[in-house]
Amino acid sequence: MEVSLMSSSQAKICKTELGCRDLRSCFGKTNDQNIIFSRKPNSVSFYSQISRLRKSGLRFSVKAVDSEPILDARSPTSSKSLDRLRLFVGLPLDTVSNGSTINHARAIAAGLKALKLLGVEGVELPVWWGVVENEEMGKYQWSGYLAVAEMVQKAGLKLHVSLCFHASSGPKIPLPKWVMKIGESRSSIFFTDRSGQHYRECLSLAVDDLPVLDGKTPIQVYQDFCKSFKSAFSPFIGSTITGISMGLGPDGELRYPSHHKLAQSGTVTGVGEFQCYGTNMLNLLKQHAEANGNPLWGLGGPHDAPSYDQPPNSNNFFNDHGGSWESPYGDFFLSWYSNELVSHGNRLLSLASSIFGDSEVDVYGKLPLMHSWYKTRAHPSELTAGFYNTASKDGYEAVAEMFARNSCKLILPGMDLSDEHQPHYSLSSPESLLSQIQTTCSKLGVEVAGQNLASGSPGGLEQIKKNMLGDNPIDLFTYQRMGAHFFSPEHFPLFTEFIRSLNQPELHPDDMPSEEVEATESIQTSSDPNIHVQTA
Amino acid sequence: MAAVTVGSLLQNPTLLLRPKSKTLLKPSRSLDSSRNRKVLHSRSSCFCSFKPSRSSHVVRANSSETALVDNFDTSSSDDVLYKETFPVKRIEKVEGNIFIRLDQSKNQQDWQLTVGCSLPGKWILHWGVSYLGDSGSEWDQPPKNMRPPGSVPIRDYAIDTPLEKRSKGEMFHEVKIDFNPNSEIAAIHFVLKDVETGAWYQHRGRDFKVPLVDYLKDDGNTVGAKREFGVWSGALQQFSNALHKAEASPPDSPNNESKDSKSNNRPLEGFYVEQSIVKEVSVDNFVSVAVRKSPETAKLVLYLETDIPGDVVVHWGICRDDAKRWEIPAAPYPPETTLFKNKALRTLLQTKATGNRSGALFTLDEEVFGFLFVLKLDDNTWLNFKEDDFYVPLYGKSSVLGQHGQSDSTSEEISSKSYTDGIINEIRNLVTGLSTEKIQKTQTKEAQESILQEIEQLAAEAYSIFRSSIVTYPEEDVSETDTDTIQPAVKISTGTGTGFEILLQGFNWESHKSGRWYLELKERASEISSLGFTVIWLPPPTESVSPEGYMPKDLYNLNSRYGTIDELMELVKSLHEVGLKVLGDVVLNHRCAHSKNQNGIWNIFGGRLNWDDRAVVGDDPHFQGRGNKSSGDNFHAAPNIDHSQEFVRKDLKEWLGWLRQEIGYDGWRLDFVRGFWGGYVKDYLDASEPYFAVGEYWDSLSYTYGEMDHNQDAHRQRIIDWINATNGTAGAFDVTTKGILHSALERCEYWRLSDQKGKPPGVVGWWPSRAVTFIENHDTGSTQGHWKFPGGKEMQGYAYILTHPGTPAVFYDHIFSHYRSEMAALISIRNRNQIHCRSKIKIVKAERDVYAAIIDEKVTMKIGPGHYEPPSGPQRCSVALEGKDYKVWEAS
Repeated sequence: MEVSLMSSSQAKICKTELGCRDLRSCFGKTNDQNIIFSRKPNSVSFYSQISRLRKSGLRFSVKAVDSEPILDARSPTSSKSLDRLRLFVGLPLDTVSNGSTINHARAIAAGLKALKLLGVEGVELPVWWGVVENEEMGKYQWSGYLAVAEMVQKAGLKLHVSLCFHASSGPKIPLPKWVMKIGESRSSIFFTDRSGQHYRECLSLAVDDLPVLDGKTPIQVYQDFCKSFKSAFSPFIGSTITGISMGLGPDGELRYPSHHKLAQSGTVTGVGEFQCYGTNMLNLLKQHAEANGNPLWGLGGPHDAPSYDQPPNSNNFFNDHGGSWESPYGDFFLSWYSNELVSHGNRLLSLASSIFGDSEVDVYGKLPLMHSWYKTRAHPSELTAGFYNTASKDGYEAVAEMFARNSCKLILPGMDLSDEHQPHYSLSSPESLLSQIQTTCSKLGVEVAGQNLASGSPGGLEQIKKNMLGDNPIDLFTYQRMGAHFFSPEHFPLFTEFIRSLNQPELHPDDMPSEEVEATESIQTSSDPNIHVQTA
Repeated sequence: MAAVTVGSLLQNPTLLLRPKSKTLLKPSRSLDSSRNRKVLHSRSSCFCSFKPSRSSHVVRANSSETALVDNFDTSSSDDVLYKETFPVKRIEKVEGNIFIRLDQSKNQQDWQLTVGCSLPGKWILHWGVSYLGDSGSEWDQPPKNMRPPGSVPIRDYAIDTPLEKRSKGEMFHEVKIDFNPNSEIAAIHFVLKDVETGAWYQHRGRDFKVPLVDYLKDDGNTVGAKREFGVWSGALQQFSNALHKAEASPPDSPNNESKDSKSNNRPLEGFYVEQSIVKEVSVDNFVSVAVRKSPETAKLVLYLETDIPGDVVVHWGICRDDAKRWEIPAAPYPPETTLFKNKALRTLLQTKATGNRSGALFTLDEEVFGFLFVLKLDDNTWLNFKEDDFYVPLYGKSSVLGQHGQSDSTSEEISSKSYTDGIINEIRNLVTGLSTEKIQKTQTKEAQESILQEIEQLAAEAYSIFRSSIVTYPEEDVSETDTDTIQPAVKISTGTGTGFEILLQGFNWESHKSGRWYLELKERASEISSLGFTVIWLPPPTESVSPEGYMPKDLYNLNSRYGTIDELMELVKSLHEVGLKVLGDVVLNHRCAHSKNQNGIWNIFGGRLNWDDRAVVGDDPHFQGRGNKSSGDNFHAAPNIDHSQEFVRKDLKEWLGWLRQEIGYDGWRLDFVRGFWGGYVKDYLDASEPYFAVGEYWDSLSYTYGEMDHNQDAHRQRIIDWINATNGTAGAFDVTTKGILHSALERCEYWRLSDQKGKPPGVVGWWPSRAVTFIENHDTGSTQGHWKFPGGKEMQGYAYILTHPGTPAVFYDHIFSHYRSEMAALISIRNRNQIHCRSKIKIVKAERDVYAAIIDEKVTMKIGPGHYEPPSGPQRCSVALEGKDYKVWEAS
């Protein structure tokens, strides 16, 4: 916290003299008794960051006159939950959009400093496959991202890297050119729906272990990518980089692209479609069906499923009563479909944890929050997305178990969604779903980190706060996402207020008087009358 | 990278003022538009319009102080109804120097670093050292024997040493640091702090660094002697005064050479440099107001007086209720009173014969509720009261005594307030919220203030850039770039490019004649780019039945009368090298056949796309196509292509992709798009993903009895419909605007240039971002000249399109003519003021002989022989360009 403080109050000096690196060094260079910092080696806690806002002046005076023992004597009295809470903010998706170019670098630099001063722990950086390994396989361009990491480090912030093996439609960041080129002649590397449409924003999980990429399997390519990342960023990993998210599918989430256009609100009108119609998926299904002695079940997906935008009851499969999903065939299909997804997640997360396991970073994977139709018995949105979670079956247990097996943490988006803001007809319940997944995760010991779907959703910040401090408190939240809207007058003050309100429980009036005494004392320790001016 | 932005925050003056008083930090509305920019902190310039500049004038009311108003008849004090003295703080700038001297002390063993400051006040040197072998830029505490008396250690890394006066009575403050050059110290670092204001004085946004050994990497903040090798020249250039160089080092240092520092063979050299600094000193003044009842007239007499030097104008009004809405009272007014825009009165205070005060007497009706005023000083700065008007309650005064005005709609310049102030206010509130704790130590608040202020500034900066983001390269040293020249750019979309595009039509109707147009154009590439164009439209590249290229035959044969495919590729490459985007002129509507069918009709195509008559629309009897009915108008000179055929579209998409890939075209100019449905265009654009695309949708304007109608809404609607059909993926040439400009200029009917709703009457008035405005092209002008722009009035046309929203397209013949320099000036005005395709336009005059408009509140323009001058408001304009019947002003 003094870190931030310094960079503001005494700002100009510190920033410049220290190049804004880890400001701890400013004080701690030859001084090992700095309790404030050593208290939590890897992260200055959110609590202390925030309280700085209030106490900074005094704190600073304390610091400035070198009355350290007094400061050290002060031990944190804050509640544990808040002490742990770390807030990250996502950097723009197109922070780097071709190998060496940082977009709006100046804005990001200013933004980083603002965040640092606000007491934010760090930022999340999406690292795109289609940017880094765009031209040809094995040729990586890290320079732009390295520059960002350096900026973040200099700003004294932490970095959470999201490895994105998917494409983005806005801003437009496609898969690597060479992959797309392969895809042109071999569209079976993509997910395919019933009508034969391909989803070109990520590779189909069915080809994970097939040598479809110039003789290599996608898993091998991802692995090489991660290894290259690790070696390129080794100076940052464990220090600046504290977390790495492994991209698991569409939008980085572990799911099938069952809804081609997932709305910003995360609320979809229809049930989505099963994505099992690619050649390779069908092969897997066929093998599985034959192994199960029902070869006829392996010829395709459910024939009575509705299409993308239709409601559940428009066809028989998802009917709440007597729907095929409850039939033996339904169970067969849904089990296979969801197992494939979990196996895919397992392949990627075990890969990630084997590569990054020996580093001081946490490995994360992200789940979607398919909350539409949650109030029906069949939960069609979750089913088409690959989560066999219905009124009668907890589909997240297998998923959480897989995360636990790989010692990975789980990111849940949609912490900003509240039931009351969902359209009634979608029978949606983001809050119940969130709580279900969180409960399952805590049962299996999987730590959950939070994310919001979009900044500016109605009541979003309140909901986030509720989730952060609620029954299943989370220790890390990534707020999405820096950009024009984030810093706009409509949003940024709300965000500032939000951060402040997170700190509200800390505003203990009796916290301050002691501070005052300390400050007074500290001033007295100084014989020079000019010294107190340091705080100005 | 972070340091980089620090640099940009703390731009050149190397002065960071950290204002001390809380009120000082508050943004002042009143200064928003009327203040003299020069008074402001250097920092505010970084934040464009987002951030209202910080007030340099602060007013604080303090009702406990009750200085009496002199010269006012206070003898009968019982009829004094109201009396108030408002302390007023003004900031005056004082200039001075910081000097840094390094020389040998008397014993010739030790050296001495002297840092001094010529300004009065209390100064502290905040300093530290770095040792040999240190990496990074951390400071260390200097050894004890180096610390001058009075030094205070600041933790373990720095020392604060107060500057002492050299001798009594002298203003100069200095501090001397003695040291032994043979120690391990590599450099001394310091900043200077002004105790009174809390301002830090730095060097180029960083600490001053005096290297004591040679090989230290120059980080740009080094201070020292200039060597022949130019080691520190970069740093020195930044100094306003580098008075003495090494050659001029004191005469007692000839032994320099022998005093090598321990690990270096280059001698330490003495030096002396000065750097000018500006300190802002607050000056306390007051404004006193007293009100009494005039016994004779039953009116109220208000006397206002101040000790602020110079001309002081009271900008005042009255209000009749609590809403504090400004009104103008009935006469009589004091002498030297003028009416300001029917909103307020302005009275120049009369200097009193005795002393340096000035004042005025106001007579007001009894039923007046309150008296509102702000003060305007002669340096064009405004003083107000806690961000609001001064308010003198006249009715029920006992209850509202000391209360200040809440008016939010005062005079124009006072209320003008960028909406982005929201942030600041919100964060202010946050501060207030935080500081309502019972601990109210001012210092705490100030520190919080400064943090929050910093956050707010950073957020504002980030916002302003994100809103108009640019791409920078990491290898660029961003800290050195000028923040003022941020080039806003918006998201690139195919219909608009970045939104800041200026297009050049890079050919005319004759360009094919030389047979080497591509080569000729290539030679002009850098010239074109330096004129300020961003996009160039090249002639149709395909093999064509007509030499100009608009009767394409084999689409994949790019050897044309303009040059060979290789020359074309070379040209595109050169254009790219100078930063231009290249549009290919693609003719998709029709295509000439290679051979006849069995009926002797030319409708069988050859080349790589060997379509047959199924590719030709079925409703043109000339070509006996077997395709579907045309989705648009038919072009009868050649077989019209049936875009409803899947195979045709697939082939065309492939072709466009090939052009993008092989030739490097960035986008398209689409010929005769009236001939087929805009939805197909969207399909093609989605497939070929151009950087920019513009369609030629050409049809006639509406005329009644041979006279063009004022209302051309139907015409522009058709163009808009087409753009709509493309889903906005393409822009369209604004034929409507050209037509209206023709009439307006030809017949001196400038009123035509405003539509019924006061907007531009062309496409640009309805969908500016998709309107590609132009006044001439190869068809209308050049040697075809079938619809030539009124002769001699081209510059008026360009003064219009180059200042207006929309994406302007300049015709080749015009830029390379005697208009060139004028047009270059217009283009640079557009670029300089960052006018873009969505810029806001306000038409201020559209009369018979003159049309005037203000664009983005930055650029004012007029065309026509009539008179127009921009209003002489507080926002001053200066003439940027003037020519025959046009004039352009820029806000200064």
